Amino acid sequence: MLLYLFNTSVYAQTGSECTFSLQGTILYEDSNLPVEGALVFVEELDRYVLTSADGKFKFEKICQRNYKLHIDMISCGHKDTIIHVPQTGICIILLQPTEKTSEIIIQGNQTSDPSILNSRTELSGQELERIRGATLGEALKTIPGVYALQTGPSIFKPVIHGMHSNRILILNNGVRQEGQQWGSEHAPEIDPFIATKLTIIKGPASIRYGSDAIAGVILVDPAEMPSAKGINGEVNLVGASNNRMGVSSGMMQGALDKKLSGLSWRVQGTYRRAGNAKTPDYYMENTGFQEVNYSTALAYTKTRFGGALYYSQFNTKLGIFTGSQAETVPDIIAAINRPEPITPSYFSYKIDRPYQQVKHDLFKANGYIRFSNTNRLDITFARQQNIRSEYDYLPLTGITTPELYLDLTSHSIDMVYKHAISNTIEGSVGFNGMTQGNIRMYQMLIPNFRNYSGGIFAIEKWTRNKWTVEAGMRYDYKWLRAYMVDNTTAQIITPTFNWQNATGSAGTRYVIKKNLFWVVNVSNAWRAPTVNELLSNGVHQSAVAYEIGNINLRTERSYNASTEINYQSKRLQADMELYNNYINGYIFLKPDLSYIHTARGAYPSYTYTQVNAVFRGADISVGYRVIDSLYFYTKTSLLFAYNKTIHDYLQLVPANRFENTLKYVFKNNGKFKQAYISVTSIYTAKQKRVPANSDYAAPPSGYMLINADIGCSVPMGNQQISISFSVQNIGNIRYRDYMDRFRYFTDEPGRNFTLRMKIPFTLLTQHA
Amino acid sequence: MHKPYIINMKEIQTVLVCITTITLLYSCNKKVEAVAPTISNEALTTVSLIVRNTQAPFDIDTATWQQLLDKNGNPLPTDVSKANLILKANTTYHTELLILDKTQTPYFNVSNEIEARANYHLFFYQPLPSTQTFVIPTSPADQLPLPIPSQASTTGPVTSNPLNLTVTITDHDSNPQQYPLGLQTDFATSAASNGWLRILLRHQPNVKNGTFAPGSTDLDVGYTVTIR
Repeated sequence: MLLYLFNTSVYAQTGSECTFSLQGTILYEDSNLPVEGALVFVEELDRYVLTSADGKFKFEKICQRNYKLHIDMISCGHKDTIIHVPQTGICIILLQPTEKTSEIIIQGNQTSDPSILNSRTELSGQELERIRGATLGEALKTIPGVYALQTGPSIFKPVIHGMHSNRILILNNGVRQEGQQWGSEHAPEIDPFIATKLTIIKGPASIRYGSDAIAGVILVDPAEMPSAKGINGEVNLVGASNNRMGVSSGMMQGALDKKLSGLSWRVQGTYRRAGNAKTPDYYMENTGFQEVNYSTALAYTKTRFGGALYYSQFNTKLGIFTGSQAETVPDIIAAINRPEPITPSYFSYKIDRPYQQVKHDLFKANGYIRFSNTNRLDITFARQQNIRSEYDYLPLTGITTPELYLDLTSHSIDMVYKHAISNTIEGSVGFNGMTQGNIRMYQMLIPNFRNYSGGIFAIEKWTRNKWTVEAGMRYDYKWLRAYMVDNTTAQIITPTFNWQNATGSAGTRYVIKKNLFWVVNVSNAWRAPTVNELLSNGVHQSAVAYEIGNINLRTERSYNASTEINYQSKRLQADMELYNNYINGYIFLKPDLSYIHTARGAYPSYTYTQVNAVFRGADISVGYRVIDSLYFYTKTSLLFAYNKTIHDYLQLVPANRFENTLKYVFKNNGKFKQAYISVTSIYTAKQKRVPANSDYAAPPSGYMLINADIGCSVPMGNQQISISFSVQNIGNIRYRDYMDRFRYFTDEPGRNFTLRMKIPFTLLTQHA
Repeated sequence: MHKPYIINMKEIQTVLVCITTITLLYSCNKKVEAVAPTISNEALTTVSLIVRNTQAPFDIDTATWQQLLDKNGNPLPTDVSKANLILKANTTYHTELLILDKTQTPYFNVSNEIEARANYHLFFYQPLPSTQTFVIPTSPADQLPLPIPSQASTTGPVTSNPLNLTVTITDHDSNPQQYPLGLQTDFATSAASNGWLRILLRHQPNVKNGTFAPGSTDLDVGYTVTIR
């Protein structure tokens, strides 16, 4: 449930102490209609009232102090909030219904987050539950404009508006995720089970979150820490048929009271294990994975100040499909010419060489001070360590060390001061600072490096009547020094770089009618070249390429314009976004059309090159309530990318995608609640816009997948257990995807049945 | 305007002190500046053919293809100056293949390891004239694709006449089927001719079946051959 906006806070005051009154209005978050009969309980007074027909409540004889309000309403979740007296203004509390049967739900709702500088889409609640068990990159594919870059059936990287890797920032619980994200087969090291909400910000969003976010930002947010005394939690279980994946994830949390009031804690852990995935015809050898993650949090929350400590660890071991082991060009061409991998496989959970092993530790400490209901200072410190080991086949020397070992440690500090300048202007100013140290061992792919970066920003938003205008500015500085051995002299050399840039964004929203608004944004962002783009030089075995860095690369600059129109009514909800992202100095690996001979044979050589590129497209999503219980959703993602410098298409850009869903929601009937059945068809077109002679094989054909879901919630004791059952690729069709780097070697997985269960539990409850 | 809270300076201090302490707990390390040596787990730098005339045991010749690595483990230009084999016409040679990893000290003998893992490896010898399509022993479904650029080929003599060399693998692995390995071979020559010899090593873990197709290529080198 969400408390969205204190328009401002509370209360007409009269004279001295304990003569204030506390009054406010409770509204439904989705419709803005008043909530009649909501229970408003004030902890400090031990008194409650019910809201009137216009959603209003009032308490008299209020003293000058903090009050904790608990709001409960049938079919809404519990909501609590702390209010400081005295404050003038009107308190509006928004309640979100938990059973959204009376309104249209678009998968991935438009959020009402204050910032309008970028299009935002959110996945939470039932929509998130439906994709539980999937990796982050796979889960986000349900959102228009978001795609995935795949390496076999288990490695997914999110792609937003055609770009990925370093051009997307992922904020894991508020901390910028820093691993070796430049690698196309390096998936985000995040356990999606920590999140109760995934937010996708499309388009350059550098102002608030830091440079590099040319494509967009992904926010992975856990639930707020509990505030009501007691201990509760939930267990999630997922089983899938195709790769016989089993996932179990548990969470337990609690809050304390009396002298320890304000203290809360949470522990969480996930175990995922899967074996070889199966295409309609054969198993893919060595595609299993094993993942163990846990996190723990301790928070102290008071009205005026508070803080939290958070620690999480992510561990994965990912088998690399052995059928993809093409060491040279002839190997790749031979593999392409085979209808299926030459080596028959079978089901097994065993993970053999080649495989990747990644461990990611995150420690975070944050604190806040609230100066008033609108002004607060947040400080976050984080330390991350990402250790990646990649193992090839066991070498002839018998050495069991990894071929590649990279250890990246990042320290960051973020300070944000949120403030309201007047009733119509609010915003935030802040600072982000980070330093990273990278240590490599064994083979040389990227060198050791140390970097320092810092940025300051300011964003202000002005709202008046139907207009909202928001603008932001940012300045960043980045310094990088690499430590590497000179090729001939064997002396340590230290190439050093620094970059700085100022960026700005502006957006405006106009509410045409109550349920129709229009947004226009212009923004720019920049990205410094990464160390692999500058200094790599050598065979990239998994890509069958000899990659050559370019020490003269300049920064990449993005100029994005987008417009969005959103309409919501009882029957229809529609959202359309058009974007045009022009990138000056877009860095990519350009084929040199020549070969470098090694003992293994010839490798095609590629050099990091800068061109001017443009990514333009449309993300459209429409939901229509056909009859009371029947909903139709359609989502379209269109994307066109050009290399303006040579007037040709760009490589490895996702094809257009069309998704249609028919969903029937059953009336709550006895024990079964929130029951639904849905059928989805996803059509991915053939990517015809590819440059000539840039690939070993033509892009695979378009394909249509049919998926189905059925789910409901049933009571067990006092809890509602959510159960869902889904089938992906019902037709068990054979297909390959252009965005899968293993498209040369294998089909995608065939039919997959997934059973999901969410079991909440309560161990100790608060005494009412 | 909003009336601000009265903030206790002590509260601010507590928050700031906490953050500073935590920051200082993690001081930067110096390991970044010490560059770890490059270790290539599998570097096949040097491939030598040692041919011995079966009729004259002291008639021995060697030819060596070599590609050393730079200090970062990346390949330097191929050295084919010694990759020249001179054979007598109408003669049979016992041939041994010696593969070294010269990035290690002392040099690591890779052929011994390949012999120990014979069940995972298979060599192919491809005597080449000039313009003919490559003919590699292979199952029909998996022809070796077009010749790939090789420095050895460009330095080799160009002639339309075939290279009159027949290579027979004489050693075998310990699979029940006793598939050939290829470290030991017999080279049988006939009439005088020129050409080049391509040697490929296929790495076929658990999938070796005597054909070219399974697995991936670990080694692909060439020699000029003169039969006179």
